[in-house]
Amino acid sequence: MSNFRRVGLIASVAALVALAMATAALARPGAVTSASASQAIACGKSVSIGMMAPITGPAASIGDDQLHWAQFYVTIWNNHHKKKGIKLNLVQGDTQLDPSKGSTVAQQFASNSKIMGVIGPASSSVVEAVAPILKKAGLAFASGSATRVSLTSGAYKGYFFRDVPNDGVQGPTDANYMMSDLGVKSGDSVMVVDDQESYSTGLADIVEAALKAKGVKVDRESVSQKATDFSSLVAKVTGSTKVVFLPFQLASQAQLFAQQMKALGKSAAVFGSDGTFDSSTFNVPGPYVSFFAPDVTTIAADRGLVKSYHLKYPGGTTPFGAPNFVLAQMYAAAIVKSCKDGKISRAEVRKNLATVSLKSTILGQPIAFDKNGDVAGAAFHIFKIQSDGSYKTVK
Amino acid sequence: MNWNLFLTELISGVTHGSVYALIALGYSMVYGILKLLNFAHGDVYMVGAFIGFGLITVFGGPTALTVNVVLLLILMFLASMLGGGLLGVMIERFAYRRLRNAPRIAPLITALGVSFFLENAALLVLGAQYQSYNSFSWKNSPIALSGFTLPAGARISYAQVVVVVGAIVLMIVLTLFVQRTQTGKAMRATSFDREAAAMMGIDVDRVIVVTFFIGSALAGAAGVFNGIAYQQIWPYMGFQAGLFAFIAAVVGGIGNLPGSVLGGLVIGLAQSFSIGYISSTFSDAIVFAILIAVLIVRPSGLLGRAAVQKV
Repeated sequence: MSNFRRVGLIASVAALVALAMATAALARPGAVTSASASQAIACGKSVSIGMMAPITGPAASIGDDQLHWAQFYVTIWNNHHKKKGIKLNLVQGDTQLDPSKGSTVAQQFASNSKIMGVIGPASSSVVEAVAPILKKAGLAFASGSATRVSLTSGAYKGYFFRDVPNDGVQGPTDANYMMSDLGVKSGDSVMVVDDQESYSTGLADIVEAALKAKGVKVDRESVSQKATDFSSLVAKVTGSTKVVFLPFQLASQAQLFAQQMKALGKSAAVFGSDGTFDSSTFNVPGPYVSFFAPDVTTIAADRGLVKSYHLKYPGGTTPFGAPNFVLAQMYAAAIVKSCKDGKISRAEVRKNLATVSLKSTILGQPIAFDKNGDVAGAAFHIFKIQSDGSYKTVK
Repeated sequence: MNWNLFLTELISGVTHGSVYALIALGYSMVYGILKLLNFAHGDVYMVGAFIGFGLITVFGGPTALTVNVVLLLILMFLASMLGGGLLGVMIERFAYRRLRNAPRIAPLITALGVSFFLENAALLVLGAQYQSYNSFSWKNSPIALSGFTLPAGARISYAQVVVVVGAIVLMIVLTLFVQRTQTGKAMRATSFDREAAAMMGIDVDRVIVVTFFIGSALAGAAGVFNGIAYQQIWPYMGFQAGLFAFIAAVVGGIGNLPGSVLGGLVIGLAQSFSIGYISSTFSDAIVFAILIAVLIVRPSGLLGRAAVQKV
């Protein structure tokens, strides 16, 4: 066949670079004018909330569930306010779990003067990308699954909130469980594998530091979210490796890793973080999974609500979903308070959202935000995957 | 020396390399004939993977297969190769043929457009969710779970054996086809000089169609190999595999078929051994470093020949 031609390659690379630059230019912060942050508008018959979630893409199973739970609350609310009161309107924005796509959605929300607050984004990396845009637009944004510690460390105080505990709680909880219940001792090895995304690397750093502080040797590894072959990594799991910790965002990757461990005859315990919590996907018997919220399908008080949810949205649910129901509930409370004078602004919603306190929620605990926007008094739960693939709470 | 680790990385690298090599062959064949970098090729690989998955579903799904596994594998390969090949022919007919004499940038951008089109069409039709061949749980024949134990305790699964042996068979058949048949001779002539080949009575259009069919059929088969060995498939899977296969083709010498195979193996082994002996964090960086090093030292690739410029 013919020979390689340098000119062709240079042209190809130039075209790709141009395409990438054009995409980046379109997605840059401030490319679209924001609606005024403090401008008050009449509440009218309905108030809009933006919903940022990975509705399509590799994490669509998470995003769909989050969207459905928020929609579920909005439907319940609107049914109760058919004749009197303010209705809620949920505006969807698909981030595909991609920071650049999240930025584009954030620009759209920022310029939509009817949107008074945002639920989401789902992941820490997307939160980091959209935060400057939403802050500039004066919008509150509250996530039901972004757990990176630094998100509430100051820069977005008063703007960013979350109703789930952060990785500062998860990391030590997981490390302690490995030491106390999985037999890891000083001098043993633990392999920590991040998936190169902000959530994953942050949590891996915390667990690595916590284990090293107790004299445990840590083999830190890293794989792409698109990786499907882990056999090269699994080969590095030795007899002294007691646990393989997988702070992945995608449960399907944890499933593959655990399957490949089994295929190569490795006996170390597999421990997944909250990102891997999905019993329909990660269900190889044996691994442990930590999660920031309880499984609402196992809470007796939620049985009726969960049944109604399944009727409206058949196909199951994951614990990623329910915190978004609670966030919609908190926004509703903040909007009602803001609309007492018949007018509403983004600044008012932010201020009122920060002070909402729900004494009981479907998560089985009261929810209120602390001064940094974190949920007050939250704890992580640890589950073990049973022989039938179901999750059983072990701590 | 830890022989278990070495052998496991070797097996993993050769398995990956075989998949890359099959995709890279398609890049090389099309480039050799048309001087076109067909960036949609990775998405043909994705479509092939989904065709294989469709057959698994038709025959009861992974955990309840209603057909013998050997028969299933044969049907999956035939269907994915036929489907991939026909898709390649359609892409050539509707997207590239009219641009054959256009400036080179036009078909290149078109190729990117076709790639996006295929990805989003798959997203629309097949959904965004990951699907799994789940060959760890195939009824009575979990080919990814069972296999042979090698010296030093290293293991090779039946799925890896199928991938490596299957890829070797396809490469031998391709080589024989190109070297021994009339059509293969016409392909080589067209690659050497398209105008002269046309003047000698070769139906260049037909040769191009055959080239797209064969290259895309190999990508379709690679999609099934990937599913068998690594389980997961999704609409965007073609991008990364296509990228590494493209690197493999360039490293080996794009337009050169043995070079593509060599490039695929080099990239697959580099990924595996860098994960095993250096760090998984730097695995991709090492692959790109190899690409840069080859382009600096030998711009035409490991087995490519330097182009003669007429002035």
